[in-house]
Amino acid sequence: MKYLLGTALALMTSAAMAQELTVWDWKSGDPAAASYIEAAKTAFEAAHPGVTVNFVMQPNDQYYTLLGTALSSGAGPDVFLMNGGAQAKARFDALTDLSAEAKGLAGLAEFSDGATVHALPITIQGFVVYYNKTLYADAGLDPEKPPTTWEELKAACEAIKAKGSAPCFAMGNKEGYGAEFFVSALAASMLTAEEQAAFAEGKLAWSSPKMKAILQAFVDTQTWGWYGEGANSTAKFMDEYEMFMRGEGANTIGLLSDVAHWKQFGEMMGPETIGAFRHPAPDAVTLAADGGPMLPLAGGIGYGVNKAGAHVDLATDLVKTLADAGPIAVFTKDAGILPANPAVDTSGLSSPTLTTILPWTLGAAPMAHANASAAELEALHQQSQLLLNGETTVDAAAAALDEVQAKAH
Amino acid sequence: MESRTAWAFLAPSLVLIALFRIAPLIWGAQLSLTDARGITPGDYVGLANYRELASDPAFQDSMSNTILLIATLPVWVCFPLLLAILIHQGVPGGRFYRATYFLPAILSSVIVGSIFNTLLRRDGAVNALLKLAGIAPVDWLGSSSTALISLIVVQLWATFGMSLLIFLAGLSTVPQDMIEAATLDGAKLRHMIWHIIIPTLRPIIEFVAVVTTIGILTSMFGLIYVLTAGGPGTSTTLPEFLIWLELGKLNRPGYAAAISMVLFALMAGLAWAQIRIMQRNADV
Repeated sequence: MKYLLGTALALMTSAAMAQELTVWDWKSGDPAAASYIEAAKTAFEAAHPGVTVNFVMQPNDQYYTLLGTALSSGAGPDVFLMNGGAQAKARFDALTDLSAEAKGLAGLAEFSDGATVHALPITIQGFVVYYNKTLYADAGLDPEKPPTTWEELKAACEAIKAKGSAPCFAMGNKEGYGAEFFVSALAASMLTAEEQAAFAEGKLAWSSPKMKAILQAFVDTQTWGWYGEGANSTAKFMDEYEMFMRGEGANTIGLLSDVAHWKQFGEMMGPETIGAFRHPAPDAVTLAADGGPMLPLAGGIGYGVNKAGAHVDLATDLVKTLADAGPIAVFTKDAGILPANPAVDTSGLSSPTLTTILPWTLGAAPMAHANASAAELEALHQQSQLLLNGETTVDAAAAALDEVQAKAH
Repeated sequence: MESRTAWAFLAPSLVLIALFRIAPLIWGAQLSLTDARGITPGDYVGLANYRELASDPAFQDSMSNTILLIATLPVWVCFPLLLAILIHQGVPGGRFYRATYFLPAILSSVIVGSIFNTLLRRDGAVNALLKLAGIAPVDWLGSSSTALISLIVVQLWATFGMSLLIFLAGLSTVPQDMIEAATLDGAKLRHMIWHIIIPTLRPIIEFVAVVTTIGILTSMFGLIYVLTAGGPGTSTTLPEFLIWLELGKLNRPGYAAAISMVLFALMAGLAWAQIRIMQRNADV
């Protein structure tokens, strides 16, 4: 009897002590992220005996719908992953203050309201133009000297167009992402730091001369024949990038983030075929230290703690582990991410493309689209498609975007 | 006693309807009167969401697209009806056609969308055929003038098999002696369709019209999502896609609920009007 009671008591005690933390994301099923998730889980569970971490991968396209429903009904996870910028900002009310844990991390602006940091970034993201050196050489261009100014880029596209074997840029704008990337890539050099800040606050209108110039450049590049036909029925993810890898586009605006295009393109096309440059812009006013265009850079993805969760302190520890240099180093090595934690050693990443890119990340510009509201981005997606089709004018598109911007801020 | 037994049989259905139909509807109506943003329940804002709808260009565009879609309803009914009559009349290979026409109805909209994405893209098979015929290629899904009509054709292809089967079942109830008598009297096929088949099939046509209306207003999300993502611009945005956009991407459940209520009212009104019209004609 005594034995039975003792066993029952022991079972009850261990059940009371066993704690479970739930993490929601859209990454944990990705084979490239598997070793990072495992490293973080192992490190955390070793440091917190009796605590189990469950990573629940949600479908990417419904992630925020499911998260919103769960949070509003009080059934949200303890920790959740989010994209920096508009998506993170829309959820600040549900997140705890992680300012004390954020020291030293890069890319905090996209997870902070200025005073409080609400999530810890694990990656930073940027846009560069990846180019196909073979197609450059075929067009009579020097593949080792990519364009550094708008005029040089125009000349390169003219040469590629004259050769006629592929469009200058692979372009997918079915969901409007092609335009989104273009706007941020040009705004990095065309807007001053003050104008970037004003844009983020909704004070620099889309109908301002600078923003209209960016929209006009989007239309001009289409008129000049930089893109292939059918951009509005081509998805950026992944049709555009597959076209680029098949050699059906000499350039593409790609990512540095948790999606490492330098790695993917290099593996598919051969590292010697791929090069990268920062997107030049017309009338650039902000230049990098080397005199070249600016690289748009921002906090990529990050983890936050649900303040309505049952184990906020434990969840905070878990987020610290997920953003810690140890597991992030594994993610960097295996997936080629650009880490937000500067303590992570990236010297082990051997790629001529990445070696070119990494110095550009110092002193980079904000990523304009990440600071726009979700409603503005949706309107940009729609207006950009009409601009590409010639079904609206830059003035009308800017006016429509102004209206959404005014409502959102 | 009899009444108690009747209630006992009805109770499970009533509970299910109340729990999964009526309660969410009431909850949705309630939500549409708030400014819920996905995390907090939101404050009561009265009819503000509905007032905003009246001036929302995306919603207006989605309603215009809906009107255009509803205007094609006669095609959705007549096309399978005509094919069903031909199969029923015993055209050679009728069984093969029946199975072939029905096949797409068992495919999910995402699969159908993926197939037609390959066929209709700018460098797809349809444009390759046009090129062989010396016709300039068309960006079927990327141009505002062709995207919605392309979606409608794909959805029609994917779903008309079900209507066809319903009509075939209905045709088996058309009295054979009347058809034979009409044949002996020298009636042509078009006379038989107009004077015998259509009047006999009136309740079936009514059923197909109502079910198709509801189907095209609520089941095109998968196709839109895969084929056009609502674009270019808002040219293929229908209310159901807009609901997803406001809920999932723009994080506005209150506003999305208001669109849902409008869509519900529209469907209920249309179904009621269709049934009234058919009943009135039946009385003539």
